[in-house]
Parts: sequence; C-alpha cells; structure tokens
Amino acid sequence: MSRIDLVDLNKSYGIFEVISGLNLSIEDGSFTVFVGPSGCGKSTLLRMIAGLEPITGGDVRIDGNRVNDASPIERGVAMVFQNYALYPHMTVEQNIGFSLRMAKFGKTEIAERVSEAAKTLQITDLLKRKPAQLSGGQRQRVAIGRAIVRDPQAFLFDEPLSNLDAELRVSMRVEIAKLHNKLGATMIYVTHDQTEAMTLADKIVVMRHGAIEQAGSPAVLYNDPANMFVAGFIGSPRMNFLRASASANGVVLAAGPVLPMPVSDQSDLRVGIRPEHFIVQGESSRFDMHVDVVEYLGGTRYLYGTAPSGEELIVEARDLGSVRAGDSVPVGFQPDQALVFSGTGDRIRTERQ
Amino acid sequence: MIGRAPRWAIAIMGLIALVWIIPLFGIVVLSVRPVGETMLGWWRLDSFTLTLSAWQRVWDRYPLADAFWTTAFLAGVSTFLTMLLTPAAAYAFHFLKFRFRRLLLIVIINAFVLPQQVVIIPLFRLWRDMGLMDNFAAVVVPYVGLSFAWSIFLVKNFLEDFPKDLIEAARIDGCGPVATFRHVVLPNMLSPVYAVGILQFLWTWNALLLPMLYLRTHVPLPVVLARVAGTYDLNWDLRAVAALITTAVPLIVFIVFQRQFAAGSQATSGGKE
Repeated sequence: MSRIDLVDLNKSYGIFEVISGLNLSIEDGSFTVFVGPSGCGKSTLLRMIAGLEPITGGDVRIDGNRVNDASPIERGVAMVFQNYALYPHMTVEQNIGFSLRMAKFGKTEIAERVSEAAKTLQITDLLKRKPAQLSGGQRQRVAIGRAIVRDPQAFLFDEPLSNLDAELRVSMRVEIAKLHNKLGATMIYVTHDQTEAMTLADKIVVMRHGAIEQAGSPAVLYNDPANMFVAGFIGSPRMNFLRASASANGVVLAAGPVLPMPVSDQSDLRVGIRPEHFIVQGESSRFDMHVDVVEYLGGTRYLYGTAPSGEELIVEARDLGSVRAGDSVPVGFQPDQALVFSGTGDRIRTERQ
Repeated sequence: MIGRAPRWAIAIMGLIALVWIIPLFGIVVLSVRPVGETMLGWWRLDSFTLTLSAWQRVWDRYPLADAFWTTAFLAGVSTFLTMLLTPAAAYAFHFLKFRFRRLLLIVIINAFVLPQQVVIIPLFRLWRDMGLMDNFAAVVVPYVGLSFAWSIFLVKNFLEDFPKDLIEAARIDGCGPVATFRHVVLPNMLSPVYAVGILQFLWTWNALLLPMLYLRTHVPLPVVLARVAGTYDLNWDLRAVAALITTAVPLIVFIVFQRQFAAGSQATSGGKE
C-alpha cells in the first residue's frame, strides 16, 4: 500500500522524446488507469514505475522515497504482463512461488502463501499443472497470483486482458475490481480500451504523445472533458463532432441548429454531442438525420447516418418505432449537453459549464 | 487413411536408404573377410571365408583402446565446455548490455569464416613456445574456442525468439542477470544447447587435423585410422575395422539424439501466438 508520485518525468530514446515533463500523483490504495492510443507512452510510463525502463529525467517516488535507480524488487512493485509471461518450465505452484524462492523464503512459508494466493484466485486445483496446460483465463489468474503472493506495495497491470476473448475479458475485469476491493492495494492499470478504464478506475489518466491530456474520475472525464481528444476517447460509441461557427445569436451548427451560447467570435468551432444525448423524434428536434445503417443491440440501437451538413453522425435511439435504413428522422439534443470546442480542439466553456 | 504415405513413396525411400547403406555394409564385409578374397570387390563370392583376424591384428598392432579413450576424453571435455560456455555467452550477448558487446560478437562470429587450416601454423608456434605440444589442452582449447563462432551464433539466433516478457518477469520477481540465466533462460533453451552439444561432439570425435599435428603420445581414433590407411600394405580389412570403430560412437550418438536436431523453440510466455 503506497502512494506514488511522478515528478517532471522524462523519457527519451536518443533524440526521440517519448515522455516529457510528466507530473502525476497516485494516491494510496487507488485504482488508476492509464489510457490512450497506441504509442502514447502509457506502457513506457508503467515500465518506468516498475523499474524495467531507465528514467531519463525527473523522479519516481514511492511513499516519498526516490526510487529511480532501485530494482523492481526494491521498489516493491509486482507486475502482470499482457502475455502473462509465465515460466513455461515451471508448474503453476512454482511460478507463483518463484519470487518468494528468489527472496529466500522458507519452504513452508512459500507453500502457505502460494496456497493462499491460489485460494483467492480459485486456482488451487491447477497448482501442479504447467502453463501450457492452462486456458487463457487460467494463465491470467496465475499471472495475477504471481503478483499477489508477494504482497507488493503496488500492482502494475500492462494490458492484462487484451489477449482474452470478449466474454472472459468482462468477467476477469470484474475479478480484478473485486481483487482491488479485497486487497485495497494501489493498482495501476494500462489499457487502450476505454470501457475497461471507465469500469475499473478511481482515476483515469488519458495520455497522448507522452503527455497527460486529462486526469480525473471517470465521471469527470465523461461529463467534463478538457478537450476534444479526451471527449472523443472516453465514451462508446464515440462522441459526434459537428462543425459550427460563432455568431451574435450563439453557436451556429453547420447542420442547422443554433446553441444560445455567448462565444467570442470564432469561425471554426466544433460542437460535441454524445450519441446517447440525442433525442430522436422529441420535441426539441433540431435537424433531420438521414439514416444509413440501423444497428440493433437488443436494449438499444444505434443509427448511423448523416446530418443535413453531410457530416457523419451516430445517434442512440432507445425507444423508437420502426426506423429503417434510408429513412430521415428528426433528431435533437439539450443545448447544455453539447460541448463546444475550438478549431484546435480546446474546450470553450460557457458560464453554465 | 489421411497422412499415410503411398506405397511407391515407401519403395523409393527404401531404395535410396539401401543405396546409402551399401557402402557401410561393404565396410562390415571387408572387415570380416581376408584381403585376398575381396581384392576385386567385397561383393565377390568366388571363395567366402569369415574371419576376425583383421580385428585381432588391428587391436594388436595399433593402440585402439588407448585411442578410443583419448577420443572420448577429448570429445567429452570439448563438448562439455562448449555446452557450458555457449549458452552463457549467447545469453550475455543477447540480453545484457556491456561495452564493446557488438564488436566482441562480430569478432567471435567472424571466426566462422576462418578455415581451421589458417590457424594451424600460428597455433603450432604458440603451443611450442608455451610448451603445450602433446598436451590435450593444445587440442581442447582450439576445439572449444573455434566452436564459439557457430555455437554462439546458433544459440543466439534461438534467443531471438525468446520472449522478452520472461526476462522482465524474472526481473520483477527479483532475479539478477545470473539468476535470470540460471532459473529462466537456461531451462528454456535446452534444445539448442543439446543441438550444439551433439554437433560439437560429432565434430570433435571425427577431428583429425589438430590432434594429428599437436599430439604425439596419446592420439584419437581418426589419427589411428589415418595411420592404418597411410601404410602401403594391402590392408583394406584393417582400414575397415578402424573405420568401423571410429564411426560407431558418432552413429550411436546420432541415432539416440536425432530428435534434438529437429527440436525448435518451445519457450513461450503463455500468450496466444
């Protein structure tokens, strides 16, 4: 259990800077998720915290102690890898107990702690098997077992679920959340899947090009994104961004509607509206949408189509009669659920927001 | 049935195998018939006598038992040292960072292009100056040293596919470089190490040139074979016996360990490849 601080952290490979001047505090016992597109530096950042990647500049502090030059074991961190990284020649039992063996624990203590970890993860009956005889989900459990057996200061997960199939991914996600509740340990989790980030995190750190775009709770990131990138990255399906310009009456969408928002004169604006914030055929309908595809998901359905301005649009239609591809339906939204961004992607806040 | 070879394929394979085995069979026949009978070919059946006199004469005239043990010792020690040092060197070159790593590797691998004959004279002078002539070290050192060129290359290539995750997991679990090698890398690279061992054993067992030049008192079998063949007698029967004795061990080693030649990388980190 410990607090982790990243202070002015830099990482470069030669002249190529991967992470520059990054500051972040990770509270004791929190579940922090680093999320971002491929190559944004989130895995590098995790590996720097783990001690697998040398730090070019700045500090990593665990409980206030600078650990830049400490080995992973001295930092007291445990890591779960994307490919599980189980030792193929060892049984599950030996895999889980390996770090204890390296730390010169007694045989009985190792056996005790391994069996306790196995019990927590419900893999007691697999202890004598080799990794090759396990399914993907079982291997992932063993990998987690290898981490928890050490009772580490912090758990680091590097895209641990990306090799699992969709169904197993959901159930393992729940297991990891349970594990966090049970152990109360500091956990840092890297993923590119925003759903995993939203469901697991106390705090999401959205990264791009080696810098933090925004860090905050899932609700803050969803409701109050700092810029277009975060707004587009959080939420599924993706937020719609419609072209607009400022006028004396407010923000005029190219698609037609006018938002009564006082925005200083800027011709190139974007208005972001989440698919789930559209109201189909409601009173506040603002423009007609031409539907190209209807995606039926049981509880809900998504309409894919175009606005009058020709821009592509995704709209969630929860309870709606029959809409078919080729139809035109009126869609609208509450002005206060629309977010305004400048042409460069920065958020333009109005008084109410 | 799927996967069953057609009869004609088996027949052709059998024929090729037969052609391959005929010379070996011929040597066996040569070794158990008097020279006089086999002058015009070992397959001639004008008169046919079975005798073990060639085996006895070779045994009496040449130090075969001594040569056998010398060969076993030289090949055994060289193979052991190569199998011990090669994986450690390959691991260091592949996973560790140190000064002149690249240069050193290039120098070692480049010994590959150096024919053995090139080093004979310089080595001869070196051993003479060091007083190592007729010492087993004079043969074992170049055996092992020259083997690094191909053996490190072979094992390092195998390590290209070795999952880096495992190395990092070992670091997370508290292993230093040596413990990582011992507990994680070595147990998962046994097949290329065995392959290196088998090749090294076969080559050192059959080596003729270096021991012929640097050893006097105790010489290995190929040198004895060369001496048998080097006389001007009509001693095809003796040569056959010496050849059989020399070949027997490599043949057995090959048959026992042939599966190791085909073995590939079995180490994975557990992901779905």
